[in-house]
Amino acid sequence: MLTKGKIDRKDLFWLGLLAVFAAIPVTPWFNHSSFAQHVLIQVFLYSSMAQAWNILGGYCGQVSFGHSVFFGIGAYGAGMAVVKFGLIPWPGILAGAVIAAVVAVAISYPCFKLKGHYFAIATFAIVEIFNRLFMVWYWVGGAIGLDYGFTQPGWKNFVWYQSKVGYFYGVLLLFMLVFGIVRWIERHRFGFYLRAVREGQETAESLGVNSTRVKLSAMALSAFLAALCGAFFAQYNYRVDPPMVMSLDMSMKFVLITILGGLGTFYGPLLGAALLIPLQEYTRAYLGGIGGGVDLIIFGLLIVIVVVYQPKGIMGILDRILNGIRRSRSGEGGK
Amino acid sequence: MKRNGKFVRSLFLVMAALLAVGALSGAAFAEEKVIKIGTLFPLTGPCALAGQRCRAAVETAAEVINNAHPGMQVPLAAQEGILDGYKFVLVHADHQGKPDVAKSEAERLFDQEKVWGIIGSYNSAATKPASFVAELKQKIFMCGCSSSGALTERDFKYFFRMAPTDKTESLEFVEFIEWANKTKNSGIKTVGLIYENTEFGKHAAEEGRMAAETGGLKVVADVPFNPGATNLNSEVQTLKAANPDAVFGACLGGDYTLWVRTMKQMDWLPKAALNYCTGYQDPIIAGQLGDDANYFMGGTGYAPEFAELMPAVAAVEEIYKTKTDPSVPFDSDSIQEAVALLVLAQAIEKSGSLDPTVVAETLHANEWESPLSMGGKVAFAPGGQNLKAMSMLTQLQGGEYKRIYPVDLADTEPVIPMVPWKDR
Repeated sequence: MLTKGKIDRKDLFWLGLLAVFAAIPVTPWFNHSSFAQHVLIQVFLYSSMAQAWNILGGYCGQVSFGHSVFFGIGAYGAGMAVVKFGLIPWPGILAGAVIAAVVAVAISYPCFKLKGHYFAIATFAIVEIFNRLFMVWYWVGGAIGLDYGFTQPGWKNFVWYQSKVGYFYGVLLLFMLVFGIVRWIERHRFGFYLRAVREGQETAESLGVNSTRVKLSAMALSAFLAALCGAFFAQYNYRVDPPMVMSLDMSMKFVLITILGGLGTFYGPLLGAALLIPLQEYTRAYLGGIGGGVDLIIFGLLIVIVVVYQPKGIMGILDRILNGIRRSRSGEGGK
Repeated sequence: MKRNGKFVRSLFLVMAALLAVGALSGAAFAEEKVIKIGTLFPLTGPCALAGQRCRAAVETAAEVINNAHPGMQVPLAAQEGILDGYKFVLVHADHQGKPDVAKSEAERLFDQEKVWGIIGSYNSAATKPASFVAELKQKIFMCGCSSSGALTERDFKYFFRMAPTDKTESLEFVEFIEWANKTKNSGIKTVGLIYENTEFGKHAAEEGRMAAETGGLKVVADVPFNPGATNLNSEVQTLKAANPDAVFGACLGGDYTLWVRTMKQMDWLPKAALNYCTGYQDPIIAGQLGDDANYFMGGTGYAPEFAELMPAVAAVEEIYKTKTDPSVPFDSDSIQEAVALLVLAQAIEKSGSLDPTVVAETLHANEWESPLSMGGKVAFAPGGQNLKAMSMLTQLQGGEYKRIYPVDLADTEPVIPMVPWKDR
C-alpha cells in the first residue's frame, strides 16, 4: 500500500537516528580517537555504497558484481577534476556520477537480456575490462593513478588534513542522500515496481510493468549513487588508481555488506557495514601487525558464521529476536 | 532464543577481546624512555613475504641499537640505546599492498599509537599516501626500498629514501651495455621492456625507455602485464616476435619465476636480461629456478656474495637470520630497511633532540656512515633521495650472484650472450 506523503514510525525512527549521528562529533569519544573517526567515516561510506547497490541487487533482484566500475568512474571524476584540470572537485563529482549512470545503462542494456547467474557473470567480466582499460589509459594516469597535491582544506576543495570532522559531515550528507532516496523509493510506486520485478519478471510484465525500463532506471540510479561514493573515496584518500577502485575486491564489498546486513531491506546495508567495517579495521589494526593474516582469518570466520547461521543477514537475526519477544509477550511462546 | 543469546554473547566476547588488546597496546609505553617507530609493510597479500622480511630487517636494526654489541662495526652498536638510554620500540602495521589502507594505517600509527616516525612501505604505491600523511603531520618517514622516482620528486621535507631509484638502475643498465658493446663486442642495439603494470613497474619502464633512448638504443618492445599473472605466454610471445637484444625486466616475486619459465618454454632468450630490484634479487626464487636462473643479470644492493666488500654486514645478518622463518640472509630490499633505522638513530643521536624538524634538518645536513650500504655512506638530496645510493650489476652464475659491473668492483666476467636453454 502506498503511504505517500505521510511520516510513519519508521521515518521518525530514521530521523531520530540521523540526529544522533549528526551529534556524534560533539561527543568526547569522537574527539579522543582519530582512528574511531576513520572507522565511523568508513561505516557511513560503505553503508552508502551497499545501499546504492541494494537498489538494484536487493530491491530489484539483479545481482551485479560490476559496481566497482561505477564507483571507480566517480572516483576518477573527482580525481581528474583536481589532479588533471586543477579545478575544485565538485564539477568532476557531478560529471563522474552522470557518466557512471550513462555507462551503467549502456552496459546493462545488453546484460539485462541475461538472467540470474549469467547476468552476475557478465558484470564480473565488466570489472576486469574496465580495470585493464584504466590501467593502460595514460590520459587518466594509467597504472600510476592520480595523486592529489596539497591544497587549501575546506568544503570548497572537499579535503581536510588536520581534522576528520569535515569528512564526517560530508559522508553523513552522502549517507542521508542515499538512504533518503531509498526510503523514498520504498514508499513510491517505483519501489513496488522494483519488488515486482524481483519477485517475477513475467508476472510483473503481465500486470503492465515495463521490466526493462524499471531495471535500467534502477541501474542508472544505483550507479549514480555508487559514483558519488567513489568520489568521496578519492577525496578521502587523496589518490585514485585502478586497483584501488575498479577491482573485484571492491565489488565484493558492495555485495557482501548488503548480504550480511540483509538483502532488500532498508537498514540491512547500515547494519552490515556497522558489523563488517569495524571488524575489518580493528582486526587489521590490532592483529595485522603480527603478520600471517590472523585478522583476515577472524574476519572471514565471522562472516561464515553469520551467513550460515542466518542467510537473511543481521536483519533476519533481529527479526527472529523481535518476533520471539513479541510471541513471549503475547503468550504464544513457551517451550 | 537460546541460540540467539549464545551468538550475541560470543560476538560481545570477541569485541571485548579486541578492545582489550587495543587498550593494552596504547598504554604500555607511556612513561618509559622509548622512541616508538611504526613499521608499515605488506604483511599479507601478494608481497607478504617481502614485507615480512622488511619488518624483520627493521627489528634487527632496532636490536642492534637498543643493546650493546661491542664487536659490531656499525655506528652506535657498541652502546646501549641512544640519547642516554632511549630505546626503539616498534609498532608493526600491515597495509596489505593497498594505498588506501597504507594511508589509514599511517594515520592510525601517528594518532593512535603515537609513533615518532614510520619506516616503510615496500610498495611505491603504498609509500606515496603513507608518506603524504607523515609530511602533513611533520613527522619523519624513512623509506628503505620503494624505488619509484616520483617519491623523491615531491620536495617533501620529512621523507628520506635509502635505495637507488629506477632511474639510477636504468642508467647503470645502459652504461653496462655501452661497456659490453665496446669491450665484448656484444652488439646490443635494441631493448625490450617487460614490467608489471603498477606504479613501480610503469616508472621503471619509463626510466628504462628514457635511459635506453638517450644511450642510442632502440626500444622495440614495451610489454606491461598485470601483477600476479597466471600466464605470460602472450607477453613473452610479443618479446620473442620483436626479438630485442636486451630486455629490462621489472617482474616481482612469482611473476619473475613465471617470466623466466615461459621464456624457457618458448625457447627464447635475449642476449642480456637486466632486472630492476625484483624477483631476480631474491635468493629463494633463484634457488627455486635452479639452473634456469643462471645468466640473468640485475642491479643488486646486497647479496651474501658481497661479504668481502661489506664486512660489517655479517654480524648484523646473524641477528636477521634469527628473525626470518625460514632463516634467510639479507636481500637488496630488506637491508635498506635496516639502513633506514640505523641512519635515523645516528641523526637522532647527533641532533640530540626528538623534535622531528630538527632531526629532519640534521638528516639533510650531514653525511652518514652506513656500513650496510654499498659505498658505505648515506646523504640526502632535497626531496629525500639518498645521493650515495648505488647498486652493482650482478649475474647469476652457478646459482651465485657474481659481481660483473662496475669493472673495478667486479669479481667475474659477464656471460654475454646468455647461454641458450638447449645448451644448459
